[in-house]
Amino acid sequence: MSASGPVLEARGLNKRFGGVVAASAIDFTLHGHELRCVIGPNGAGKSTFFSLLCGIQKPDSGSILLHGQDVTRLEPFRRVRSGLGLTFQTNRAYHKMTVGENLETARRGGTEEDAAPYRAAISAFGLAGKQDLPAALLAHHELQWLEITMALRQGPGVLLLDEPTAGMSPNETMRTAEVLRELNAAGLAIVVVEHDIAFVRAVAQTVTVLHQGAVFAEGTVEEITAREDVRAIYLGKVREKAR
Amino acid sequence: MIGRLALPLARGFTGPHDIGRKPPAWAAMAIVAIGFLVYPAFASAFAASNVAFYLLNIPMALGLSLLWGYGGVLSFGQVAFFAVAGYVYGIVAGNFPDSAWATWLGTLAGLGATALLAAAFGYFIFYARVAAWIVPILTLVLALLLNTFLGLTAGPQWTFGQVALGGYNGMTGIPSLQIAGLTFQDYAFYYLVVIVVLLLIVGLRAWVNSQRGQVLMAIREDAIRTELLGYDVRLEQLRVFVGAAILSGISGLLYVQWGNYITPSVTSLSQAALPVIWVAVAGRDSLVAVAIMTFLLSLLSYELSSAGNQYALVIIGVLLVAVMLFAPEGVILRLARLRPRRARRIGDAA
Repeated sequence: MSASGPVLEARGLNKRFGGVVAASAIDFTLHGHELRCVIGPNGAGKSTFFSLLCGIQKPDSGSILLHGQDVTRLEPFRRVRSGLGLTFQTNRAYHKMTVGENLETARRGGTEEDAAPYRAAISAFGLAGKQDLPAALLAHHELQWLEITMALRQGPGVLLLDEPTAGMSPNETMRTAEVLRELNAAGLAIVVVEHDIAFVRAVAQTVTVLHQGAVFAEGTVEEITAREDVRAIYLGKVREKAR
Repeated sequence: MIGRLALPLARGFTGPHDIGRKPPAWAAMAIVAIGFLVYPAFASAFAASNVAFYLLNIPMALGLSLLWGYGGVLSFGQVAFFAVAGYVYGIVAGNFPDSAWATWLGTLAGLGATALLAAAFGYFIFYARVAAWIVPILTLVLALLLNTFLGLTAGPQWTFGQVALGGYNGMTGIPSLQIAGLTFQDYAFYYLVVIVVLLLIVGLRAWVNSQRGQVLMAIREDAIRTELLGYDVRLEQLRVFVGAAILSGISGLLYVQWGNYITPSVTSLSQAALPVIWVAVAGRDSLVAVAIMTFLLSLLSYELSSAGNQYALVIIGVLLVAVMLFAPEGVILRLARLRPRRARRIGDAA
C-alpha cells in the first residue's frame, strides 16, 4: 500500500433493482489521510453505494479496489480482513453483550497489539470505564460510539461509516465530528455517508454528492455547499422542475 | 502451558455464559458429580446400567445446545448423526471380533463418518446461506431419509463383511468397548459414561466462555454485523454444526456400546423431536441446564414406558407445550434466574 495512492476506489459502479437504477456509473476515489462525506437526499443511492463498498450487495458492473486490490467479488468478511472497518446506519452493536464483550468480539484474534486509532477512540468516547456494562444499558449515542470503536479494533486502513450521528443531539454530533477529525488527522482515511449538513460542515474536507444513483458533484465543503444546484436537490427543486 | 490451559478452564467456571458461576453453585455441582461417581457402591449393576442409559444422551443434547442455544441454528436431525456413528461403529467393530483395537477403530470410524456427513451436509446449508428457518426442515429430512433408507436394508446385499444392517430389525450383536481385557459393561460402562459427560460439560463450558464461543453468540445475535467484523460466518457455523454432530455421534456410540444393538427407529420422527424437547424444556443456552434436563426427561420417559404407559411421548410433548407457554426460556433457566431482577443486573454488571 503506497502512502499517496488511493486507498479506496470505485470505477463505474452500476446496480439496478428491477427497474430502479440505484447506482449509475459511480466513480469514486479516496486517498489516504482523506476524510470524505458522501451526501445526497433520501433515495439518492447512498445506502446502495455503502452496501456495494462493503460487499453486502454485488454491483452489476464496475469494480471496487481496496488498497489497489480488486475486491469487487470478495465476500464482505474478506474486505474487512483487507482493511475495511465499518458501521451501519441502524445501530448494530450486540445489545445482549457487555461493552467489553462487544470489543472482544471485534478483536477477531488476529492482531496482538491494539491499533492506535482504537485506543484513541476508547479514551475519546469514554468507553474504558464501561467495559462491564451491558450494551443494552448504554445511551443511543454511546452505542454509536461503541460501534465506531469496534470498527477500529482491527486497525483498518479505511473507515466507512453510514450515518454515524443519526439520532444524536447536536452536542453529541459535534463530539463525534471532533473525534473523527482527530482520527483522520492521525492518518486514518474515513468515508462518512451522511445527510446532516451541519455535521458535514463540521467534519468533511471533501464531499461527494449523490443524486439519483449517480455522482452529481464533488469538491471541497465550501465549494459544494455554495453550489445552487446542490442546494436545489436537497430541497427537492430539481425533481420538481423535472416534473 | 499449564497457564494457557488453566485460564480458559477457570473461565469455564466463572464465565458468564452458563448458569452456576458462583461458589455455592460449584459446590452443588461438585456434590452431584461426586454423587454420580459413588453411586455404583450403593446400586446393582442393572441399576447403574439404567442410569448410564439416562446419561448417554447428554452429549447429543449438549451439541444441540451449542448449535441452537448458543449458535441460533436449530437442527431437528441430530439423531441422524447419532445413528450414523452407531451403525458405522457396529460395522467396523463387528468385523474384527478378535482384534483388541477393533472397538476403538470402530469408535474412530463412527465419529469420522459422522463428521464427514455433517461437513458435507453442513457445507451445502451454510455456504448456500439458506434462511435460518429452513435448517430444521432440512436436518429433519436428513433424519427421515436415513430412517427410510435403513429400513430398506433387510436384504443380504446390505451385509458388510460379517455384519448385516438388518432393515427394520436393526443391527444386533454390536460389541461393547474394550481395552486390555476390560469390557465396558455394567459398572465399567457406567463410569465411562459419567466421565465422558463430566469432561464434556467442563470442556464445553470453557469453550462457550472463550473468544470463539463469544463469536458464536455474536452470530446468533446479528450474523451480518459479525461478518462485517471480518468473521467468515459460514465457516464458524459449519464448525459448530460438525462439532454438534460429533457430540451426537458420541451419544450414538455410547448407545450401541450400551445396548449392543441399533435399529432405524432411533431416527424416527418422535426420536428426532426428543433432543429438541430436552434442550427447549431445560433452557437452550445453558449447558448445565440441558445436561440436567436431558437426564431427568430420559429417566421420565423410560419410567413411563417401562411402566407400560403408552402415552410417554404424549406426556413429554405436553410438557414441551406447557414450557413454551409458561417459561419459554426453559424451566431450569427460569428457576436459576428467580433472584430479584435488580440484584441480578447489579450482579451481572459487577
